[in-house]
Amino acid sequence: MGATAEVPTGTARGLGRRPWVLGLLLALLGVGVFFSPILGTVSVSPDTVLRILLHQVSGGALFSDPCAGASVPASGCSGLIEIVWDARLSEVMLAVVVGAGLGISGGTLQGVFRNPLADPFLLGISSGGTLGAAVVVVFRIGVSEQNLLLPLFAFVGAIATGAVILVAARSRFGSVETLLLTGVALSSFLSAVLSLLLLYSPTGSLQVDFWLLGNLGSLDWTQDGIAFGVVLVAGTLLATYGRELNLLQLGPDVAQSLGVDSRKVRVRLLLLASVTTAAAVAFTGIIGFVGLVSPHVVRRIAGNDYRLVLPGAALVGGGFLLTARDLSLVAFPGTLLPIGIFTSFAGAPFFAYLLFRRRGASTMGTP
Amino acid sequence: MHLHDPSSTPPPVRRTVPLAWFVVGVIVAAGVSVAGIATSYALRPGSPSGPLSITDDLGRHDTVPADPARVVVLGPSIMDSMYRLGLRSHVVGVDCYAPSLGGLSSDYSADQVALWNLSSSMCVETGPTFDVEQLLALGPQLVLAATIVSVAAVEQITQTYHIPVVMLQPATLTGVILNDQLLGEIFEVPGASSSLVSSLQSALSRAASLQDNLTANGTPFPTVLVTYSADGNGYWTFGPGTFGQSLIELASGASISANATLPYPELSGEQVLASNPEYLVYGTGFGINESTYAGGPFWSQLITTQGGHAVGMDSNYFTEPDPTMILVGLPQLIAVLHPGSSA
Repeated sequence: MGATAEVPTGTARGLGRRPWVLGLLLALLGVGVFFSPILGTVSVSPDTVLRILLHQVSGGALFSDPCAGASVPASGCSGLIEIVWDARLSEVMLAVVVGAGLGISGGTLQGVFRNPLADPFLLGISSGGTLGAAVVVVFRIGVSEQNLLLPLFAFVGAIATGAVILVAARSRFGSVETLLLTGVALSSFLSAVLSLLLLYSPTGSLQVDFWLLGNLGSLDWTQDGIAFGVVLVAGTLLATYGRELNLLQLGPDVAQSLGVDSRKVRVRLLLLASVTTAAAVAFTGIIGFVGLVSPHVVRRIAGNDYRLVLPGAALVGGGFLLTARDLSLVAFPGTLLPIGIFTSFAGAPFFAYLLFRRRGASTMGTP
Repeated sequence: MHLHDPSSTPPPVRRTVPLAWFVVGVIVAAGVSVAGIATSYALRPGSPSGPLSITDDLGRHDTVPADPARVVVLGPSIMDSMYRLGLRSHVVGVDCYAPSLGGLSSDYSADQVALWNLSSSMCVETGPTFDVEQLLALGPQLVLAATIVSVAAVEQITQTYHIPVVMLQPATLTGVILNDQLLGEIFEVPGASSSLVSSLQSALSRAASLQDNLTANGTPFPTVLVTYSADGNGYWTFGPGTFGQSLIELASGASISANATLPYPELSGEQVLASNPEYLVYGTGFGINESTYAGGPFWSQLITTQGGHAVGMDSNYFTEPDPTMILVGLPQLIAVLHPGSSA
């Protein structure tokens, strides 16, 4: 895959042209977060859901009996509150956090590689994360702490894979092509190790399958908080590199002449993108296409300035994953399907569209 | 059908090892296992109706209420024990695969659904994603979980929602008996529990007696292939460390896959032909029947070679570590492999 990006002209103009887009995306995401908990696998009326949300947000000041008049399950009103607040809202928030992490990572990698087809899973980071998770499941490590150890091992696996890529990036052979090929080779190797491991543990295979398909269930506020913290810090740092990414689009030599140490910046960006992706993969498994699609959506509506593209991709990514979650619950009521299936349904046609479009012009064109 | 992956089961029968010593070894090992696991199941002394402190099959510690009225059972093997102990009325939820796609029928056979009076309103999705919402809506006081539930999901149920979970994942057939004893303690049904345990032990004793007799007479164990699925490449079967293999050994059979490298290997048609098993037992149920095996390599030759010794059996008997495996599956397999025996 070669570098096909065109040079973004007038970075200041790009930012000044449509900064309101970020505000609009943020507002839309907020609305989505508020209303998405209406959808779930257990039937709860929308007004009851909203009453519970307002009751919880206000610390109990509003709607002292949020379940009044509602059809309460066997678990009673406290069970209903747990369903809406602890199970659903934490799932909704995780969708936003993970989507945002994948979106901003995708935008970063497309900029680093100057390739519109780059995405967070291209470098084998997800394979490393999956192998880490599989090790915990297959060898039954730390049974009583597995809900935290599993994402921890996945995170370590993903980071370790990212570290190999970083070593390649720092070497004198660290061209874009070398990095991509290293990622592909690593991904294949790790997948082979995973398959071998699972041959010895069919029950582990069942659990790792969930991981490979990506899912938002079985998590809680603690895990949400950890994912949010990592994605917030790494994502914020990534967003500060918008100017450097803009200049990198001019080519490493030009960027160097304009004061950007392209190799050093590239390594830093790969590190941060790896951490962000690892945090996302660690809690939800592999969710494809969010990182690929989100930056392109932002470019379509806000231009190519990376100072807009990166935060915009985070907001679009969060919204994309949230929408996928909601649509899956509408399409298959009462069933929690792996969310990765739905993002791929939306992402695969978009990927094909990009491929066709590349024949004529770059999708990373001028703003 | 769920494949269970026990970490330790008795070693496979080897014809070169004196079988009498093997049987003695199994009995001693079983005794040691019973003593060890029984210790881990030691219940907290005190009021018989007070909460119980339990260490489950994965070594997790949890406190469960005595005789809980609302129980969610995640695993057909546990449901089998609950039913046989007369505890069906305590069960308010069971595992399902994707309620809007497969639902109950993915995890439970039609016979089980009818016998245990299960309904879709009891569904708790355990696959492809674990759905905690459905579990919470049922308001369980206790969750009993088998291998189909991820440990991470179990820990979430326990730590976030403070619902006690006992994981019943026996590694051996002895573990099945111990789990039934444990359920008897939790639900305070000592009579039903001891009756069931007695039946299970009798079935195992009869199998052991048959082994003793065959060994004493110098009669070799018949070779057998037990397969649970087939495709164009070969026949999927049970390797060392699986319940399927344990059942074959208890039934005084010599599995042709006893020395396989993997727990659930696929034997090629060539391997099966070369082994020339005296008996061919194929698993049925959940959409798999004899026509499935007809697509396997050399099936017609194998059937012919067996001379009528090819028999279909419910796959659950080999894969679900529950009382039915011992009370129904084991005698059926013995009847196939040793038609004249009274075991």
